Amino acid sequence: MNVVGELALWIALPVAIWGMVFGFLGGRERRGDMVLSAERSVYVVFVLILMAALGVIDNFLADRFEYAYVANYSSLDLQTYFKVAGLWAGQTGSLLFWLLLLMFFSVLCVWQNRAKNREFMPWVVGILQGIATFFLVVLLFAGVNPFEKLGFTPVDGAGLNPQLQNYWMTIHPPTLYLGFTAFTIPFAFAMAALFNGRLDTRWIDVTRKWTLLSWFFLANGIIFGMRWAYEELGWGGYWFWDPVENASLLPWLTATAYLHSIQIQEKRGMLKVWNMGLVILTFLLTIFATFLTRSGLIDSVHSFAENTKIAFIFLSFMGSVLIAGTVLILWRLPKLQSENQIESFFSRESAFLFNNLILLAAAFAVLWGTLLPLISEAVTGDQISVGPPFFNRVNLPIGLVLLALMGIGPAIAWRRASGRNLKKNFLWPVVVGGATVAAFLVVGARHPMALATMGTSAFVMTIIVVEFWKGTSARARIGGENYATAFGQLVWRNRRRWGGYIVHVGVVLVFTAFAGKAWEVRIDQTLEPGETAEIPSPLGHTYSVTYDGMSTYQATPTQVQGNLAWQAQALLSVRIDGELVDRLTTEKRMYMAPQQAATEVGIHSVPLEDFYVILSDVADLQGAVAENDPEAQTATFTFLVNPLVGWIWAGGFVLTLGSLIALWPGTEVVRRSSESQGTTRTRSAQPEPAVAAD
Amino acid sequence: MKNGRFMVGLVGVAAIVTYLVWTGVSDTMVYYLTPQELMAKVADDPSFGSVGVKVSGRIVPGSHEEGQGELLHKFLVRDIEDETVTFPVEFRDVLPDTFNDSEGMPADVVVEGRFENGVFQANTVLTKCGSRYEAAPEQLQQASG
Repeated sequence: MNVVGELALWIALPVAIWGMVFGFLGGRERRGDMVLSAERSVYVVFVLILMAALGVIDNFLADRFEYAYVANYSSLDLQTYFKVAGLWAGQTGSLLFWLLLLMFFSVLCVWQNRAKNREFMPWVVGILQGIATFFLVVLLFAGVNPFEKLGFTPVDGAGLNPQLQNYWMTIHPPTLYLGFTAFTIPFAFAMAALFNGRLDTRWIDVTRKWTLLSWFFLANGIIFGMRWAYEELGWGGYWFWDPVENASLLPWLTATAYLHSIQIQEKRGMLKVWNMGLVILTFLLTIFATFLTRSGLIDSVHSFAENTKIAFIFLSFMGSVLIAGTVLILWRLPKLQSENQIESFFSRESAFLFNNLILLAAAFAVLWGTLLPLISEAVTGDQISVGPPFFNRVNLPIGLVLLALMGIGPAIAWRRASGRNLKKNFLWPVVVGGATVAAFLVVGARHPMALATMGTSAFVMTIIVVEFWKGTSARARIGGENYATAFGQLVWRNRRRWGGYIVHVGVVLVFTAFAGKAWEVRIDQTLEPGETAEIPSPLGHTYSVTYDGMSTYQATPTQVQGNLAWQAQALLSVRIDGELVDRLTTEKRMYMAPQQAATEVGIHSVPLEDFYVILSDVADLQGAVAENDPEAQTATFTFLVNPLVGWIWAGGFVLTLGSLIALWPGTEVVRRSSESQGTTRTRSAQPEPAVAAD
Repeated sequence: MKNGRFMVGLVGVAAIVTYLVWTGVSDTMVYYLTPQELMAKVADDPSFGSVGVKVSGRIVPGSHEEGQGELLHKFLVRDIEDETVTFPVEFRDVLPDTFNDSEGMPADVVVEGRFENGVFQANTVLTKCGSRYEAAPEQLQQASG
């Protein structure tokens, strides 16, 4: 299987090149046979890559440590589950995995369009196979072949880093990669539209769900990564503005901008060049993120040693895409003219446009901060770097404006909002937002940014709730349905719109959770067994935490438990007002392969806050573990009260629900008369239930 | 409304963001140096290190001392290329799990903080090591031998 796997990789390269050449050639010469051949090559490459991936997994399962990749990321006693996940544990495997997902989506796309959108398909296939060719070249020629052998056979592998042996870590990279690769389809269609000159909204309609699918995976991938950091890295935070985290955030920001700006093109025939630009930019950022994750271009806790060959290949590819995309757009500029102009500052177009500008501004700021060490070194010779203070300072105000626009956008009229429209739709939300701020002030909250976020969140939530209420009650009144049916029908009949609003609710929850950070409490305290620490919660109660003692374990030559050399686990009882609410453990442990220490944290979660405890230090670890000496078990703990952190995960769940509703297949009923009494229609506009319009 | 007016909005947003980024960088930036560069800069200007710097180096094996009962860590960091350039670091927080001062494979670290009176007061200590996610072939060789 392993030999077949490597061979498959080599065979895939010429087949992918074949598909690329005949896709483009068939498109230009209008030769159906060539196009068909190119399309079939997609299936072939997919099967070949699948064989290669299975070959890698087989190497892991069979413990073939003569392969460098297996030796580096596995060991004899690694659980089967993590051996399979070994496919994406490291650089070489994850590039192959990336390609596998790309080919999977390519197959879906080719199959989905076997009898429609034929005018796009030659170019789409050509572009998809072009990207596949690029990744195959990287895999085979840039020193990252997962089938590379060591030249000797170690008796055991180095083992998978224990921090990666975590549920969230096994699903976080695949989810992000699904997001990255799914965006290749909209990119391929956009390029195909530029090639064949069909620049109406067809290519957007065809790829809208692909874009949403990609966005959905990116959002979840980012949240899974946060969850992993929060539960596993043990610093009490979930986001560190690490270059790799930033790299995954960038395409999400531009994809979000794109999801909104295409609505302007669909409804008003504007922003055509802008949308093309955003597709290309987002695609480039997905490639950039893939590259940055594993290249060591910038010091990061994620990336490792530099591989300059791979950097060169990736940068050349990105440069070529950028140049080709720009040339194509310039060539097609006459066909990308705007059909309308923005008529008023107070209009939905305007709100969407600002949302786009703000999202791009955020992306720019994050990119700039991430690349600053490289840029400054090139310009001044000194490396300058910025960290979390910079990113927070710049992105907090940007995020706040974005949050506000998320409320304004859905409730403001298209084209031109009248004073009456503004007053009718925004008076109450503004009042509720203001009342929320006032309520926080009354209970003694003073942090300005957090107050602003809470107020704006309340403003946005009110708008969304009112929108849902208006739609539901209108349906109930007109159709004589009961409210539950009316609500279900409302959402179901325009899944894209209402699904989108549910996504907004999820995002508001996440933003609110970020603001909760302002009320974080941290106390470091050293306790002897039996002693108690008091930690005040911002909600008013106090946690009394008793250090009950330490449970220890040490491997002996005859008895080894899992992969652990030793373990020192502190046992804590958490009480509120004398009542036991939870027993937590937090521990330090040492793994044998690879020899590495790890800290496990204890978390007690309630909806409004997490009580989080880290075993920071043990007075005498040696004595504590080896002699089980209570004297030596005096320990220093870091106690954190993290308000609202659970809302991030809850927000992720709501966002998933909303995305699934919007993604649900099937044609939607387009409503024309009963709900849209719009002054808001234009020639190209798709009528929508414009209940909010005057 | 003409698109021209919109350009004003665009330029406005761009200007505000540029301002945020610019002041953000100038207020929070730190120099990212090697220990050799840090020593050279401090020799030129003794107050240099008090603005905030980030230094990337390697832990001197066996140099890690823990404060009894309090959260204080002291260790030495040396230049990766020139072993003779070292400086002491003090850190009052939880060290990352991959922090390692063993003889075999001392961790590479990035410390950020202030360098004053010959001691580096670190606010953050990040470990960055190739060995964290991938073992070096020599280590595997040892394991097989």
